[in-house]
Amino acid sequence: MSASVTRCPGCGSSNIVDDDLYCQAQRVCVDCGSVVSEGVLTDDWTGDTEISYSRTTAVARKPCLNLIKGLQRVKAICRILRVNNEIENHSQAYYTQAYQHEAFIRVSLQKKEVLAGCCVLVSCRLLNWPVTMGTISCLLDADPVVVGAVYQEMIKILNIKAPVFIINDVMEAHSQEYKISSLHVPEELAENSRDLTKRAVALVELAADTWIVTGRHPTPIMMASIYLSWQSLKPNKHRLKLTLDKFCQMAKVNKLKPAMKRIAEMKEVLCKLGREIPWVREAVTPDNVMQQVEDILNYRFALLRRALRTHEETLQAESEASGEDSLPEEAASSQVAEHGEQNSNAPTAEEYELNAESAQRPRDGNDDPHTEPEGNTGGGESQAPAPNWGKRVLFAPPCVVHPKRRRVERPECKDVTGDEDISDSEIDSYIRTPREAREFAQTQKMLSESEKT
Amino acid sequence: MDQNNSSASPFQGLSSPQGAMTPGMPIFSPMMPYGSGLTPQPVVANSLSILEEQQRQQQQQQAQQANAGLPGTSSGLTPQLYHSQTVAGSTTTALPGNTPLYNTPLTPMTPVTPSTPASESSGIVPQLQNIVSTVNLGCKLDLKTIALRARNAEYNPKRFAAVIMRIREPRTTALIFSSGKMVCTGAKSEEQSRLAARKYARVVQKLGFPAKFLDFKIQNMVGSCDVKFPIRLEGLVLTHQQFSSYEPELFPGLIYRMIKPRIVLLIFVSGKVVLTGAKVRGEIYEAFENIYPILKGFRKTT
Repeated sequence: MSASVTRCPGCGSSNIVDDDLYCQAQRVCVDCGSVVSEGVLTDDWTGDTEISYSRTTAVARKPCLNLIKGLQRVKAICRILRVNNEIENHSQAYYTQAYQHEAFIRVSLQKKEVLAGCCVLVSCRLLNWPVTMGTISCLLDADPVVVGAVYQEMIKILNIKAPVFIINDVMEAHSQEYKISSLHVPEELAENSRDLTKRAVALVELAADTWIVTGRHPTPIMMASIYLSWQSLKPNKHRLKLTLDKFCQMAKVNKLKPAMKRIAEMKEVLCKLGREIPWVREAVTPDNVMQQVEDILNYRFALLRRALRTHEETLQAESEASGEDSLPEEAASSQVAEHGEQNSNAPTAEEYELNAESAQRPRDGNDDPHTEPEGNTGGGESQAPAPNWGKRVLFAPPCVVHPKRRRVERPECKDVTGDEDISDSEIDSYIRTPREAREFAQTQKMLSESEKT
Repeated sequence: MDQNNSSASPFQGLSSPQGAMTPGMPIFSPMMPYGSGLTPQPVVANSLSILEEQQRQQQQQQAQQANAGLPGTSSGLTPQLYHSQTVAGSTTTALPGNTPLYNTPLTPMTPVTPSTPASESSGIVPQLQNIVSTVNLGCKLDLKTIALRARNAEYNPKRFAAVIMRIREPRTTALIFSSGKMVCTGAKSEEQSRLAARKYARVVQKLGFPAKFLDFKIQNMVGSCDVKFPIRLEGLVLTHQQFSSYEPELFPGLIYRMIKPRIVLLIFVSGKVVLTGAKVRGEIYEAFENIYPILKGFRKTT
């Protein structure tokens, strides 16, 4: 321990330094490394000073391997979806941020993969690139419910205000999946993708106006509109006979069951509008409406107005006939405001066209778009036992027109104070007699024994 | 023993003697704070007069319910507050037929109806569909014994660590834990929830456990109503983005998180609205009165 030793016994050099590593003072020869002398090991903790073990022996801290893999997965998903660089960068930034948040740092790798997909999804939405959650779930091969849950948690944590999904935007991307160009199918069944998409978008807009889209899963609606659009572009017998099943097989997409119902709903709407076409003499039914679809879509705003007006008149006539008070002008049903306002010029132009093509109908001119979309508010409520307002308007959400049958509510025990007497007999009815309890115990024992054997 | 469900009561620990779980004398202390939804009543010394008083109060209550009613309630179900406990009665000796000066169960203490004039009120009253409440029975329980000796109980420890018990009237379900805590669900009003919880506690008592009825508290209330016109959810989520979340691929309704009162509303395209997260009835009514003009006005402008 004396400081006067200046020569290393091992190599004889005089290059000896004091080394305070690891809480033990040592004198070490620089040339050969042998310890010349050492002090007593201290037994008090000096704290994490600059001589701590982890710091002296640490190598450069590597970034988390799973984070790197996750970022690569994000990149891969972006490349598959063929999004632009901005979206890719955004997704990677979000992923890094979310990954390191405490809510996601310790979840399973599977969930982290789902998180990668959700980051791509939210970036696409923010930068106006239409992608559905279904697509992401498909890419990740994950349960859509799990994807939804992770997505909602992620936007809450990262505090992102993502715009809502708009079906029209996704329509085009969706229609690309259908392989029905002339390269894939025989000529008479083939359809140009541009025409197909254009008509399908118009059909979707019409569906949205007439309450078919709100609250529903978007993909079956898109499938239904593409199918109907394909049928109506060449409404010959061959195409009309082809079912949705066969169509999906032909186009090499997976059929979705709800699409059948959507097709029926959309056909009903088309029929309601088809009836208003002035030059169509025969009755419009779901079977022959496809021939009229082109006209319906071209003049759809005007036809909507007409249909609503006709409906109004019918209801007024009905209520007058049954001797009730005539309805005030305001309460008359008109859903015109909902579609009319964004295309205020077109309908009038369309109306003139319609009128020019056929005999004039008595009702014409500008109806101020009335605002209430519901039917008569007065009306038959006092008469009908359970007034279904959906049946009284022309267009209503299908869940209102065909409501699910609910379990009949029992007449409730009203006027309960919470502090009434509780009768003993009632409580006793909930308790087993001793004999019952014994028998129950015996049965349980027998069952458990038989299970063991 | 039977106290109100306001947690401010200093009498929660007071339990009636064994076997006397009938609603006995509601003893109120003058210390009870005003504005908690209770009327301080005089401490009645004489047991006979207590019974008389109770009878009179019940009569009064029935009379009041027949007469008075909050404006705008269409269904006849008066939106009562926390309890319809016999709160009536003035501080002087209650004479039969005397309309009390204040604090009847029908006078709102908290703003049940909003301060907007009656002409603007929606005229629709949300109906309560479910009440979740908790109570502490105050003693450890042997779930195996309960499951063995009660007819209406199921117990599967591998699946869930509580006994699931059901009673017929009011139609409710209770989860009874071995710590003595109990959750009661399925009632349609606060009073029913309380009555049901008391019945469960009685069953447990009859099975031989020294059950009490401590800290009864309503944890959640769910209400629903129908505005009878369709709602454009896509538009609503655009204008109220900071409160709404609408993902048709995940759920058909729009989830609206109102800040004041702190209620979550599920709004559907059919016009049906579900309100949940309330601790008191007034919050549900208030939330609906807040959302109704939004839904109505929104329906006009689109």
